[in-house]
Amino acid sequence: MSEQTLENQGLKGPDKNSRLNVIKFALLTSLICSLLITSAATGLKNFQLKNMETDRKKNILKACDLLDSQKKASKKQINQLYTANIKEVMVNPEGKIIKTHTDGALKLFLYEKNDGKSGYIIPINTRGLWGKIQGYLAFENDGQTVSGFSVFSHSETPGLGGEIESTWFQKNFKGKKIINSQNKFVSVGIAKGKVKNLPKEDRYNYVDGISGATLTGKYLSEGIKETLTQYNPVSVTFRQKQLRIKEQKE
Amino acid sequence: MLAEKDHFKEILIKGIWKENPVAYQVLGICSALAVTVKMSTAIVMGIALTIVTAFSSLIISSMRKHIPSNIRIIVELAVIASLVIVTDQILKAFLYDISKQLSIFVGLIITNCIVLGRAESFALANPPADSFVDGVANGIGYSLILVCVAFIRELLGSGKILGFNVIPGFLVDMGYQNMGLMVLAPGAFFIIGLLVWLKNNLPGVSHEEN
Repeated sequence: MSEQTLENQGLKGPDKNSRLNVIKFALLTSLICSLLITSAATGLKNFQLKNMETDRKKNILKACDLLDSQKKASKKQINQLYTANIKEVMVNPEGKIIKTHTDGALKLFLYEKNDGKSGYIIPINTRGLWGKIQGYLAFENDGQTVSGFSVFSHSETPGLGGEIESTWFQKNFKGKKIINSQNKFVSVGIAKGKVKNLPKEDRYNYVDGISGATLTGKYLSEGIKETLTQYNPVSVTFRQKQLRIKEQKE
Repeated sequence: MLAEKDHFKEILIKGIWKENPVAYQVLGICSALAVTVKMSTAIVMGIALTIVTAFSSLIISSMRKHIPSNIRIIVELAVIASLVIVTDQILKAFLYDISKQLSIFVGLIITNCIVLGRAESFALANPPADSFVDGVANGIGYSLILVCVAFIRELLGSGKILGFNVIPGFLVDMGYQNMGLMVLAPGAFFIIGLLVWLKNNLPGVSHEEN
């Protein structure tokens, strides 16, 4: 018999290893642990939700270049910028802005900067390698040029797929097109390797891939394409309006 | 008092160097492979693990006389997991940016063998203060190796130290290329293997000789 059991039987009264004690101890531990976790989770929930909301707004602002990703901004600054420049609207599947919520309505953000540049932002919600990737893809008002991309939440491998949230990856999206030279919708994708190794006509539709994260790139490309197909009427509306403005000018 | 100081010092040296969790006990290799691509993540992971190991050892050690031995591992895991989740929640509420950087690493601390290893082999048999110091020591020992590996990997793999470029431009123009292997997990295997060998065999560095 081990020393501990002897000590317990001799000095501590009932054996700590008795079946009743084991059950008691297990129940007590689970109770304390669950209480602790529940109180932490519920008590801090409001703080966390606020943080997440600010972070979401920050990423919308980052996507359309209203906020420099290198600089730190306070919560107040972010909220001010957001209310001043971003408008949340719902659009129907035909690409028209609607007032009342209907089935199949899509969420869209419109932005207008102080220098007069405007456009729209599409929320991207796709699967990644390990979990969901949520981000924002911003377009200029010509309905075809990407003006920015940002990732709001993901669970990819840090250092590999996790690089999708790094600045070098996101800034590569700027200026890419979602249509090819024949004006056909092709979406914007993540290349396997570097864009400079692709055929010339494809270069405007791809961004540099991340080495060691081929799958993340693949899923993100697929997700972006799927979402953009869904939102294609919106882009088409923007493209046509742009056309109309040009015609009027001529 | 003096004897007590020496006693703590000995636990510290043992955890940080003599019986270093990565280089001697060969524990925590999984996370050492995953978080050492960049130095910044390695440092934050080191700090987070040190805190969790120290406090889980402290809590488990103070309950050690009451934990029934046949469910002790479950109890240890419950303590560690609760601690990690609470830490994660607090980070999310008050240090959101840091918690975003750490992403899944915080959750992964639960599965780090070092935490459970220290609880099982030290905290269950030693008083709380000793266990706390032991947890801190092992956390520092782990961080030390992690930062070394991350330094080599970031320097050779991306040409950066802590995110700053250090490879001079003219070398790149002359055809200098980063070592792609270092960015991938096998690169970490080689470096950790080398460090373990250095730690245990190099004359003057190894503790086994003296």
